[in-house]
Amino acid sequence: MKPRVCILRTDGTNCDLETYHAFEITGANCRLVHVNQLRNGEQSLSEYQILAVPGGFSYGDDIHSGKVLAVELTSFLKEQMLQFINSDKLILGICNGFQVLVRTGLLPFKNLGNIDAALMENDSGRFECRWVNMGIEKTKCVFTEGMEGKVVNLPAAHGEGKFFSDIDKLKIIESNRQVVFRYVQEAGAVTADYPANPNGSLNSIAGICDDTGRILGLMPHPERFVKLTQHPNWRRLKKGEADGLAIFHNAVKYFQAN
Amino acid sequence: MNIQEVRVTNKFSLPDPRGEEILYEIKNALGINSVQEVRTTRVYRFEGISEDNALYLAKNLLAEEIFQICQVNAPVITGADVWLEVAYQPGVMNPEVASIIKSVKDLGIEDLLAADSSKEYFFWGQDISVDEIKLITDKLLVNATVERVVTVKPETLLISGQPGTTGTIAVRKMNDQELMQLSKDNLFLNLEEMRVIQNYFISIDRDPTDCEIETIAQTWSEHCGHKTFRAKLMVDGKEKKPLLKRLQEATIEAGHPLVLSAFVDNSGVMRFYEGQAICGKVETHNSPSAIEPYGGAMTGSGGVFRDVMGTGQGAKVIASTDMFCFAPPDMPAEVIPAGCLHPHYLLRRVVAGVRDYGNRMGIPTNNGSVHFHPDFRAKPTVIVGAYGLLPAERCQKASPQAGDVALVLGGRTGRDGIHGATFSSAEMTDMTITVNSSAVQIGHAIEEKRTSDAILEASQEGLIRAITDCGAGGYGSALGEMGEKIGVKVFLDRVPLKYPGLNPWEIWLSESQERMVLAVAPENMDRVMAICRNYNVEATAIAEFTGDGRLLVTYNGENVCDLDMEFLHNGLPQRVMQAAWVKEDYEEPQSPDIVFDSAAAGCGEVVNLSNVREKIYQAVMSHLNVCSKEPIVRVYDHGVQGSSVLPPFTGIFQDGPNDATIISPLLDKPYGAIISHGLNPVLNKIHPYHGSLWAAVEAVSNAVAAGANPEDLTLIDNFIWPFPDEESLGALDMSVDACVDFVKVTGMPFISGKDSLSSTYRGKDGTVLKIPPVLCVSVFGRIADVQKTVSSDFKYTGSQIVLLGERRICEMAGSVYYDLAGYTGSNLPKINLEKVNKVFHVLHRAISGGAVPACHDISEGGLAAALAEMCFGGNVGAEISIPAGENPEYFLYNETAGCFMVEIPDGMDAAELFAGIPYYVIGKTVEKLSVEILYEGRELFDVSLSSLKAAWQQPMKGVFRQ
Repeated sequence: MKPRVCILRTDGTNCDLETYHAFEITGANCRLVHVNQLRNGEQSLSEYQILAVPGGFSYGDDIHSGKVLAVELTSFLKEQMLQFINSDKLILGICNGFQVLVRTGLLPFKNLGNIDAALMENDSGRFECRWVNMGIEKTKCVFTEGMEGKVVNLPAAHGEGKFFSDIDKLKIIESNRQVVFRYVQEAGAVTADYPANPNGSLNSIAGICDDTGRILGLMPHPERFVKLTQHPNWRRLKKGEADGLAIFHNAVKYFQAN
Repeated sequence: MNIQEVRVTNKFSLPDPRGEEILYEIKNALGINSVQEVRTTRVYRFEGISEDNALYLAKNLLAEEIFQICQVNAPVITGADVWLEVAYQPGVMNPEVASIIKSVKDLGIEDLLAADSSKEYFFWGQDISVDEIKLITDKLLVNATVERVVTVKPETLLISGQPGTTGTIAVRKMNDQELMQLSKDNLFLNLEEMRVIQNYFISIDRDPTDCEIETIAQTWSEHCGHKTFRAKLMVDGKEKKPLLKRLQEATIEAGHPLVLSAFVDNSGVMRFYEGQAICGKVETHNSPSAIEPYGGAMTGSGGVFRDVMGTGQGAKVIASTDMFCFAPPDMPAEVIPAGCLHPHYLLRRVVAGVRDYGNRMGIPTNNGSVHFHPDFRAKPTVIVGAYGLLPAERCQKASPQAGDVALVLGGRTGRDGIHGATFSSAEMTDMTITVNSSAVQIGHAIEEKRTSDAILEASQEGLIRAITDCGAGGYGSALGEMGEKIGVKVFLDRVPLKYPGLNPWEIWLSESQERMVLAVAPENMDRVMAICRNYNVEATAIAEFTGDGRLLVTYNGENVCDLDMEFLHNGLPQRVMQAAWVKEDYEEPQSPDIVFDSAAAGCGEVVNLSNVREKIYQAVMSHLNVCSKEPIVRVYDHGVQGSSVLPPFTGIFQDGPNDATIISPLLDKPYGAIISHGLNPVLNKIHPYHGSLWAAVEAVSNAVAAGANPEDLTLIDNFIWPFPDEESLGALDMSVDACVDFVKVTGMPFISGKDSLSSTYRGKDGTVLKIPPVLCVSVFGRIADVQKTVSSDFKYTGSQIVLLGERRICEMAGSVYYDLAGYTGSNLPKINLEKVNKVFHVLHRAISGGAVPACHDISEGGLAAALAEMCFGGNVGAEISIPAGENPEYFLYNETAGCFMVEIPDGMDAAELFAGIPYYVIGKTVEKLSVEILYEGRELFDVSLSSLKAAWQQPMKGVFRQ
């Protein structure tokens, strides 16, 4: 069975087509759905197995990045969202999508309407567009199954990507093994140094999942590296597969296996 | 009405990156050391809601407790030594407000009447003087054109106004002096043109309304009418064809099989693959950027994106480019002319504007350049390009039919951008910044993004008969042009306004951003409106196409403009203009052994160059026109859309610059679209013909170096010229001739272009500054298989390094090397087009055959700079030999375009690969991380890559805080 993917769009969404492409080539069946269509009942989340919140600048990232869309989701779609996460389905938030998931409270603790972490302005004070290395931790995350211990190279492109939480919450996130991706040096050592850690994230956190491993948010863009020629150095790399592909593959496989 | 205020700031234990950025600028751009710390807050104001609701919003929307603190109707930061609040001027659209209002409503608060947001700045430091704060405010925090310091809490956030009125202007009775007084400052027409207008109204026996006069003025402006490019030219006393005609005829004669549309639409269109087409347009936004660089650059990007969106029956924007010319950022403030902004500020703010618009639209900004020359101190050159993808079958517009509806989409209309078209056609003076402030506005990228989303869906469903963007001249221009052949009746009172109080002519000509006009058949209206609703895009039917050939504009039933389309579009008299270029002699050095006395050599004293060759190499690398622009590129999202195949930088450390960008817009196909450009203001100044040839050859070389087939490329011209007096027009004439000759020899046609002829500054003390003439040639084309393209970084050690192309190395005028020695020179590179064209084809064959792992075009900084950049990318060294008898410096630093540095494998036969074109194996790549130069069998010098790279990266790192 091809899982159905809802690629959520709204004003200022802009990585939707790449995300669509990444899911399609790994065997999913995608549809671009405007948040208005969920609000007016034309579309319902219940018809989908995967919800992908793509990158971009939803509503211009006014007030905070992803905030206006997060308010909209928690105000009008709370029931649908709760039903979705309680029915063994997957949610992926990339870049702006990650910001949205954190600001709805879905990440880290599925605490819809309560914010327990933030993606703050980069320490550099600027938008940063550069490729980064991320180490993959051993977690329950469905999207990274079988990738533990690997280092993936993906592009980051954001101005507000500094993962932040207070010490107590950070401890829970760490001890629950919810940190999926950390910024690392090429050889794999976790680093706080700019620009390998492009934004100053606490504990070099680049992506986290919820406690079930079915909700993932990350700042870098796996959908921008699903074929080799998307890498800046594809002409000199000896790689078999593009690093972003497995994340989408795993999501699709989850429904095929079950 | 009571206004609730919410203030939000980061917890004091956490950094405030915005404050740190300002502190850096205070210290580095202004040299003020008394300020020790800067922090910022956001201020939100709400009219119509209770204090309880304000508190609710503070906790649930505006501040995030995890890292922020907030206060309602009280300060959130106290104890600073100085503080001030900065807000937009009333009437300037604050892009954030719509989102704030939406979220307030989404949170269930219904009684909000209006909202606004602003910023506060807090300074700590013991001896911050009043003068210093004034300097910080004026230079860094407030651009008075669009912003102000808030001194008292506003009483209301609502902008009110009376319904507008239409006046009549008694032109029929005016004498010449009165006609010119009317023209001055607003219309920018000459006496002959004013008399034609006068005669028209005498002939129809009435006086014009203000709306009519303004409509004619903007249609006939240089910006819209291209009067100079259409003028009959008398060059040195002999008549020549109009400039535009020459360019268009050259394109027609070239008969290029891939061209689908040239010079007729908002952008030029060429065939891509599998029924798709690509289109390109390059615009300038010099005047607005000169007075409000952030807003100016934003609206420049927004405007050129709309050009692409409005091509054919609607296109998707797939790439954006930006080319800038500024004065050096370290220029002393006292030499900046009155009324002009400092280049350090301009550069940073223009980059920020391009960043914020392109990134938010989700359009990769992936090709560009920055050029520096002191003569840009009065006005920068800001060039922005956009490229699009559309089905070939929808690349032509249909004509609106009688009964079709004119639907306006996107942003609302306000008083912003009034007189933009006429203003950008005028020279800059020391008063420009105050008098013309209404011509500038802030862009709203998200408005344009959702409008684009809606248009693409309507286009895919075949619902759009014709489409155009609202740019210069607003609805007046868009509807005037759309209805030119058929006639249109406009109902101005239906136009959605940002606030009441606009006069009809202001509604008609406002250049408010993010608006598009569609011609839609009545039967398709319901569907188009439904699509727009789904995308939150406001759409309003404001006019009907009539079939009567008139431009009739009404406001509440009253005719405010009733003009014959024929007069409006063809009544402008053709100008007859005199042109005569005057050659200026720039001194050449007496002998090739230049004696350096500059700090550039790092010695601080007069030295003979033979002692400082390493230092000179480093100085060339750190010259502003050579140095790495990576800090700029990294703030643009060049990977969005997932299409990048050749990004701006590649190599081991991803810091080796490429010559062109290649994107693969159809994600599951091997096809590439390539984009590159070339310009050289200094060479244009020395000799407009040879400088312009250089620009065209450089532009194409950049594409060919990356693997483009010269048969698959088309061109776009941008002439950014001083006011066309006889001398400047003579230079322009030569520049156009160079373009035409280029087309004739290479067969590559120009399919779009733009002229901007107002780069002259006049100060009130009589100073006249002509900005260097700039011809920017942009190239775009298609690539059948992106696998057969190359990047510039060396891939291996032990490879042969080959120099391709013909150079006469004594032609050093305009080079970076001469500039460092304090010379401009007159003996500039003169390119043989026939030979260069052959080089293009042979090199392309070699690359597509897989023989070339790396290739880089030679431009500013010469062979030496190209070589160093290839080494940076590959993290390998090079060992090269200068042929006996050649002057070593000229060999290293000559900047003839159309020459290339090529890596080919050890043992490959260069003679066979490059048969028929000039080639020379100059050396090899080596493991040792240095560039070693040999001459007549011995080492001339050896310089480490790390020192070259540090010199090359330092200048922009300094400007952009890295």
